[in-house]
Amino acid sequence: MKKVICLTAIAAAFALATPAYASSILDEYRNQAQQENPSFNGFSAERGKAFFLTQHATGKAETPACTSCHTNDPTQSGLTRAGKSIAPLAVSVSPDRYTDQRKVEKWFRRNCNSVLGRACTTIEKGDFITFMQTQ
Amino acid sequence: MNAPQEKSPIIWDLPLRFFHWSMVAVVFTAAVTGYFFEEWWLDVHVYAGYALTCLLIFRLIWGFLGSYYSRFHTFPLSRNGVVTHLKNLLKGKSEQHAGHNPVGAWMIVGLLATLCLLVVSGFIVWGGQENKGPLASLIGYQFGEWGEEIHETLAGILMFAISIHLLGVLVETFIFKHPIVQAMITGRKEGVSATGKPVSIWHSLAGMLILIGVGAAFSYWITTKQQPPMAMSSNETYQQECGDCHPAYHPSLRSQNDWQQIMNNLSDHYGEDASLDATTYQEITAFLNSQNANTFDTEVAHKVGRHDTPNQRMTQTRYWQKKHDELTETDYSHPDIGSKVNCNACHKDADSGRFDDDQIKLPKGVHS
Ligand code: HEC
Ligand code: HEC
Ligand code: HEC
Repeated sequence: MKKVICLTAIAAAFALATPAYASSILDEYRNQAQQENPSFNGFSAERGKAFFLTQHATGKAETPACTSCHTNDPTQSGLTRAGKSIAPLAVSVSPDRYTDQRKVEKWFRRNCNSVLGRACTTIEKGDFITFMQTQ
Repeated sequence: MNAPQEKSPIIWDLPLRFFHWSMVAVVFTAAVTGYFFEEWWLDVHVYAGYALTCLLIFRLIWGFLGSYYSRFHTFPLSRNGVVTHLKNLLKGKSEQHAGHNPVGAWMIVGLLATLCLLVVSGFIVWGGQENKGPLASLIGYQFGEWGEEIHETLAGILMFAISIHLLGVLVETFIFKHPIVQAMITGRKEGVSATGKPVSIWHSLAGMLILIGVGAAFSYWITTKQQPPMAMSSNETYQQECGDCHPAYHPSLRSQNDWQQIMNNLSDHYGEDASLDATTYQEITAFLNSQNANTFDTEVAHKVGRHDTPNQRMTQTRYWQKKHDELTETDYSHPDIGSKVNCNACHKDADSGRFDDDQIKLPKGVHS
């Protein structure tokens, strides 16, 4: 009997957690941002958009901007430098984006390093996802 | 009925004539595809080789079971005969022979022997180098390489022998006025007296049935003895993590050493950060240590994989560059390709690591 309750509880947890996962990553960034900076007052899609479109050019020469691969329009497919198509980043077109924390963190780590030559701040990441959710 | 047959008896029975002209067509096809379109028409070349194999097997059988002049033991191969014939030739005459003349007979022996060796070496190349055909699982790559040299030498010898054969035919036809080409078409030679039993239609029919039988048995053998699947590598993690930006390359494309170098430099991977978390890193490194160009015995592993390059690129190996020298940057920037490292755009079998010629399909608009 105990087993059944346990399994039901786990199943229920999963069922409840899945749809909320996309924003839970954002929630985590929000908590983190608050801890890092007490005067933090929310993510901004505007800042996210600007960050996405800026030609940073402080990282590797081949990749000056996020748009180098993802194109200027987040609802369009991008292209890697090796010619492989990248599904759009906009949540409206690719609903499964920003749902897997390991994946999100992996690509922020890589892409920020390639484009900016440093890690992205928590605010940059949160702004970016917030912007993509509006797209 | 008897009288005209005595005048011009059938010398070459139907199966032999059929053999002769089929072989002309098949050898012609094999030579053209072999010399001029080796990469693109390799399959056609090989099918011609298969057909030639059947024809040769049939000819060897027919050399014992055929009608009088088809049988090998009736070939005038004695030294005296050859010497006399050559002396006559020098004096400007050539006797009409019912079957082959002595020099012609040796020519046929030489041609058949060359063709047999050519076919055998062909199977060795096909199995060893391309990992295809009935010998694929038996023959290693290096052996296939040697086979190729022998195959090419034999092809040269064959071309020479065929030229001599044609020259002989021209001399016989135009200088000595022996219509031997016509004889190979109608089977009859006028004005000769034939030895042996006259050719019977039933015997010829039996010959054609033997030929069909040989073809059927051979096709059965070839299709049941299909190529072995390549020792396929598959590692989910590798396929996923190394397949995000470009196709995950088959492990046989780089040596253990080069893979290690690539793994060591992932945070600066050809101008990009491709770093991995520690567990994934370990798993992929272990995978590439156990599967790499040194553990595959294929053409690609030997010619691309085992040649290390300063930046670990397979696209910088001499072999790769030679094979792709007709493609331009414009070709690579085609929307369906994007980059030369997108092997799968043109090689439909890239994932299996085979890179067979017949699996190259260029997107529309790319010329080569
Ligand atoms: C060199 C090409 C390239 C550049 C430049 C690039 N990205 Fe990416 N990005 C990719 C690829 C490839 C993927 C993974 C492909 C996929 O998931 O479809 C990806 C995935 C992502 C993801 C993961 C989305 C998810 O599904 O969770 C995020 C977030 C991201 N990129 C953000 C950025 C940001 C921010 C920048 C600029 C700082 C940037 N990228 C610049 C190639 C690039
Ligand atoms: C973030 C994107 C990305 C990831 C992930 C990635 N690569 Fe690459 N890789 C590239 C780019 C970009 C190039 C260079 C493309 C060019 O020159 O056009 C490249 C080139 C290569 C080449 C050389 C191609 C040549 O020119 O012969 C090899 C080999 C290679 N990658 C192996 C790997 C392996 C192994 C992994 C997994 C550990 C991996 N890559 C993961 C982006 C990536
Ligand atoms: C734009 C299309 C294109 C791309 C991209 C491409 N190839 Fe090729 N490749 C060809 C063509 C066409 C040939 C045949 C050339 C010939 O035989 O004349 C070929 C031949 C080869 C061969 C020799 C096959 C044989 O048996 O003759 C190998 C091996 C090969 N390619 C490997 C690769 C690898 C590895 C990559 C990726 C790094 C790659 N190719 C990318 C078009 C392409």
